[in-house]
Amino acid sequence: MAALGRQVIDWHRLMRLTWATIARQTSHLREQRMTVVSLLRPLTTASRGGSLKELSCVTSRKYMQEAECRTDLSQCLLEKPGTPVDRGALGLEAITTSLLDMGFSDAHIRELLSIQPRPTPQQLLDITSELILLGLNPEPVCVVLKKSPQLLKLPVKQMKKRSTYLRKLGLGEGKLKSVLYCCPEIFTMRQRDINDIVRVLREKCLFTVQQVTEILHRCPYVLREDPGELEYKFQYAYFRMGIKHLDVVKTEFLKYSITKIKQRHIYLERLGRYQTPDKKGQTQVLNPSLKDIFRVSEAEFLAKTACSSVEEFEVFKKLLAREEEEGPEGCTSDSEEGTSSGEDAGD
Amino acid sequence: ATTEPKFPATRLALQNFDMTYGVQFGDLWPSIRVSLLSEQKYGALVNNFGTWDHVIAELERLSARDFVNEAFSHWKLEPEKGQPVASAPAPVSWACSPNLQCFTFAKGDISCFPRARLGSLGVLDYYLMDAASLLPVLALGLQPGDTVLDLCAAPGGKTLALLQTGCCRNLAANDLSTSRTGRLQKVLHSYVPEDIRDESRVRVTSCDGRKWGELEGDTYDRVLVDVPCTTDRHSLHEEENNIFQRSRKKERQILPLLQVQLLAAGLLATKPGGYAVYSTCSLSHLQNEYVVQGTIELLANQYSIEVQVEDLTHFRKLFMDTFFFFPSCQVGELVIPNLMANFGPMYFCKLRRLT
Repeated sequence: MAALGRQVIDWHRLMRLTWATIARQTSHLREQRMTVVSLLRPLTTASRGGSLKELSCVTSRKYMQEAECRTDLSQCLLEKPGTPVDRGALGLEAITTSLLDMGFSDAHIRELLSIQPRPTPQQLLDITSELILLGLNPEPVCVVLKKSPQLLKLPVKQMKKRSTYLRKLGLGEGKLKSVLYCCPEIFTMRQRDINDIVRVLREKCLFTVQQVTEILHRCPYVLREDPGELEYKFQYAYFRMGIKHLDVVKTEFLKYSITKIKQRHIYLERLGRYQTPDKKGQTQVLNPSLKDIFRVSEAEFLAKTACSSVEEFEVFKKLLAREEEEGPEGCTSDSEEGTSSGEDAGD
Repeated sequence: ATTEPKFPATRLALQNFDMTYGVQFGDLWPSIRVSLLSEQKYGALVNNFGTWDHVIAELERLSARDFVNEAFSHWKLEPEKGQPVASAPAPVSWACSPNLQCFTFAKGDISCFPRARLGSLGVLDYYLMDAASLLPVLALGLQPGDTVLDLCAAPGGKTLALLQTGCCRNLAANDLSTSRTGRLQKVLHSYVPEDIRDESRVRVTSCDGRKWGELEGDTYDRVLVDVPCTTDRHSLHEEENNIFQRSRKKERQILPLLQVQLLAAGLLATKPGGYAVYSTCSLSHLQNEYVVQGTIELLANQYSIEVQVEDLTHFRKLFMDTFFFFPSCQVGELVIPNLMANFGPMYFCKLRRLT
């Protein structure tokens, strides 16, 4: 219910944006005006017809219809302007007004306008409205753009094309929002790189389409990984730790670094507190939940899951790093005393 | 895929340890377990027959420290009113063998020692070993001019340490297997100048140690009985020669018996009034305390020989900065591995033959 209410508020903001965009467009695209307005009519009617309270009570089916409608609308609005390059200089005032209309506060606008390197006002407006149309709130838009100003250099066309592709991957409105929020590169990275990651998840790790969507949604950081390393991380989960596909997805396993995974898993394993399940999925010790292994802070992991001290874990991490680097031999003695006495007693 | 993959002996060893040590050590077991399965630490025993002053400077440059010397300096400062008592004779029961210098890195420091190098005197400059292996030799409390027996000497780390004390008038180093005494010989060749290890002073033999009591009864001032055991750390890492191989089950089961026989032989070879140290690199109390207690009983009943366990509490306190000791051994001391100081396991118990 709360989520629905939130959507409704978003929707109202979208309406304002729509009007702002239209207002802007009418000045130079008069001939398109009628089409846009006629498209908008059913929506605005719906909006005016019900109060906020009533709207939040609409059935999901109705909401779905509205959402579809909204998508159509954004498509329409985005496709129509066509040649955004030479639309003439927009005054600072005009930008400010448009941004205010989109729901940005004065503080947000100041932040947006101070982003370096400074984009052209038109570009700024195009990209921000694109992000708003993707369902982001003004606040995250500011955060995203400040964090990755390179987004402001993107041609709107490319951005649009990419969002269409991402929707095809199943990253619909709400999901795309969270992906973009923590991995804005998803718009700037090469198509081929995204394909590579998706292919590894599908073909090498054998996740289902839905699972891949879920992974991209919940652990967008996988997009930043080297495909080979991502595959290795999955294999580690599957073969070494005995975690099934569904749990890899549910526990957001792939978002943790392989270093952290190995440190915590191998530590528990050597302590005797974690065992790889056998073919029947059985273990002799009760394994801690993956959440208690990975999703907790190191202090909590040591206190509650490993029942060990910080000092010992620090040493262990150093030893493990050396093992990974040099193989299991480490710094062995050349004098064979490592085997001490009596190992072949009775020879 | 017609043949079942063999269940490795290292896995069998771990299963065995989980069953027995989980009970024996309770809450301490996980930290011992992770240490046994992780890389061990070494000590560098300085070769006193080489150009040692130069070597010590080198080791200090690596910020390693001589843990033996450090322990002694604490001991000298500690007694009454903090007065240095360097000249006072040490109480005999926990006197340490002299002249041993062994460098280790501080707790939590995982640095490695570089390989030993050949010094100008033609011998290697230090011997890398589990630093805890030095404790039985230190506990034996050698005195200058002692006649010493090392009953199960190979591969030679402890034998070398015995020679480093400079106390051995005579040293008999024995080990059952010739391949193992071969390794011992190699160590002696690399570390000890020829005149020190000539036949009249160092005698290497390959006899059955259990017969030593009959061969040379009441002969030695000091006897080291470093028996064959389950070599816990080794058994978790090496498939080769692993005593947990299924084919060696019988042999493993009679280990405690063999250990009792060896310790009994060692004590019989000790002069009345002399000392023996029993040691293993196993955590198992079946191979440690029980063997000591069983042997004392055996000697009392069958030979009417009285043997007394020496209290090493003070000795343990000296070395607590370097090693982790198990706090509740019935007799003897046990160094337990810990990631901060990954030495051991090493059990040792000092015994005095009274009659």
